[in-house]
Amino acid sequence: MPETVELGPEDQAPQLVPLNAIFADDFVQVLVPVTTADTIREVAAAVAHHVEGKRVRAKDAEKIVFHKGRRLAPELTVAEAGIGPLDHVRVEYDLSKGAR
Amino acid sequence: MALLKREEWQGFVRDVDWTYSYVDDEAVFPEWHSGTGKVPREAWLGWEEDYKVTYPDYVATQRDKEQSAYAVKAALQRSTTFDHLDEGWKSSTKMHFGGVALVEYAAVLGELKMARFGLNAAWRNMAAFGQLDELRHAQITTFFGHEFIKKDPQYDWTQKTFHMDNWVPISLRNLFDGMMIAPNVVDLAIALPFTFETGFTNLQFVALASDALEAGDVNFANMISSIQTDEARHSQQGGPTMEILVEHDPVRAQWIIDKNFWGSARAFAALTGPAMDYYTPLEHRKQSYREFMEEWIVDQFVHTIEDYGLKKPWFWDEFMRGLDTWHHGLHMGLWFWRPTVWWRPKAAVSKDERDWLREKYPNWEKVYGDKWDVIIDNINANNVEATLPETLPWLCSMCNLPCCNAVQTRSGRWRIPTWQLDYDGKTHHFCTNACRQIWWKDRDNVNHETLIDRFLAGQIQPMDVGGILAHMGLTPEVMGDDPDYEAWTRDYVGRPAAGLALATGAGED
Repeated sequence: MPETVELGPEDQAPQLVPLNAIFADDFVQVLVPVTTADTIREVAAAVAHHVEGKRVRAKDAEKIVFHKGRRLAPELTVAEAGIGPLDHVRVEYDLSKGAR
Repeated sequence: MALLKREEWQGFVRDVDWTYSYVDDEAVFPEWHSGTGKVPREAWLGWEEDYKVTYPDYVATQRDKEQSAYAVKAALQRSTTFDHLDEGWKSSTKMHFGGVALVEYAAVLGELKMARFGLNAAWRNMAAFGQLDELRHAQITTFFGHEFIKKDPQYDWTQKTFHMDNWVPISLRNLFDGMMIAPNVVDLAIALPFTFETGFTNLQFVALASDALEAGDVNFANMISSIQTDEARHSQQGGPTMEILVEHDPVRAQWIIDKNFWGSARAFAALTGPAMDYYTPLEHRKQSYREFMEEWIVDQFVHTIEDYGLKKPWFWDEFMRGLDTWHHGLHMGLWFWRPTVWWRPKAAVSKDERDWLREKYPNWEKVYGDKWDVIIDNINANNVEATLPETLPWLCSMCNLPCCNAVQTRSGRWRIPTWQLDYDGKTHHFCTNACRQIWWKDRDNVNHETLIDRFLAGQIQPMDVGGILAHMGLTPEVMGDDPDYEAWTRDYVGRPAAGLALATGAGED
């Protein structure tokens, strides 16, 4: 008898996840579409794309993503991190290590 | 036959009412339109306007106003005044024409509702004059804007704006539908004549008229001054309605004032704020937007509500703090998303202009200067592309304006906070705490969908910047752009600049 296997988030086709995002000291929240399969590092880059060097001066520092008060590990995917559609994320430079 | 003297008939005709014998009162004045609520029906018998007007007087006065306004227009039509107006000022007038012309028409519908369902005959009589006023305002504003279409197609949005699903008119429709179209007449009289017309229209029509004269736009000043003289009369429907409502239901009176004050303040921050502090040429600015607001809105509003025994709205501190931030954030948004508007927003952040902004708003440099510096450096690096939008700003589920209100944190850093709310399986985002609270209290209202809602629901196709601009009705000849980049960037040419976005075509000329 075939065994039934529960599919994890990693087995499903990527779903669109539109986010409400703010980058560092920018002046406005923006719409940033990502997918459930994107990593947090990719989310940070997607948000930064609209702001970094355009309204906020780029810094040579790692970007970190905060979601519901938690700092997310960069290698997690959006699905694994539990980020849902219309959620708010904040992207900051990690200045704790000092800008390079 | 000798005519009766005015004093012999005026008291009678301004208050013609009778007792219905074939239908009951509820059939003529249904609660959902007339909205007496906790106010006993007979209490409305005491409604009396301060300044009484008769139809012959009204017609004679209005005829004179019309003749005067159109005579000035006809005279100036032959001059070259318009051609010499500053582009920034022209943008202020384009915002005004598009943002106001058909709001005046919505006000016709509001006044007509009061003329039909108002619970006192004298009130209905005043509202009949009020709707004639608003019709005149819709006509004169549309007509004056129309004249300039042959010189500049952006003026076509005088009539077009309210028919478009552009984020600015969506925001205005949301505000004014809630103020004039949806409410019963008691709430309407508190929202429109009492809260909006007694305070906010002064700012737009008196203060902006003063800026218009300074900018040399006599025609525009003349038009809006002519309109303002009507506002002073028909706005007095608010006072008598307020007196009766506050006596029987002060909680309702306070709520209607509070939410309409807030909505009006948000809309004015978007339209009047940038016009006064950025688009009006520096040498022609009389006062800052904050100073105008303090003089025309804050002092008067607080006195008025205290006279009626009401309190300052619960959001007062948030509103007052916003006088230093809201319109600056919205100005930056209007500029960055300039292809989405029907005027030419000028950044107006040259060194002299920044000196003025710092003087008027001591925190301006700290909150906004760094962003403008990056934009300036991109312009001077010939990378205009980096200053153009590739996504939408997030729009508040309540006021439909961008979520761009910086707040100072305990650490001293200025940040855009998140005000969100999960309701009925959906996450909503708001620009401010008060927008969230008003939305929550009014959650059963049918609010307009924001442009973000429409985009995510797939109503906008293709789902890219081109699709968004087309959805909003922007055509290439109308799309906004800065009228003179050099005017506000030349002060900074040659300074070292790091941390800029790379141009897609970097290395090309």
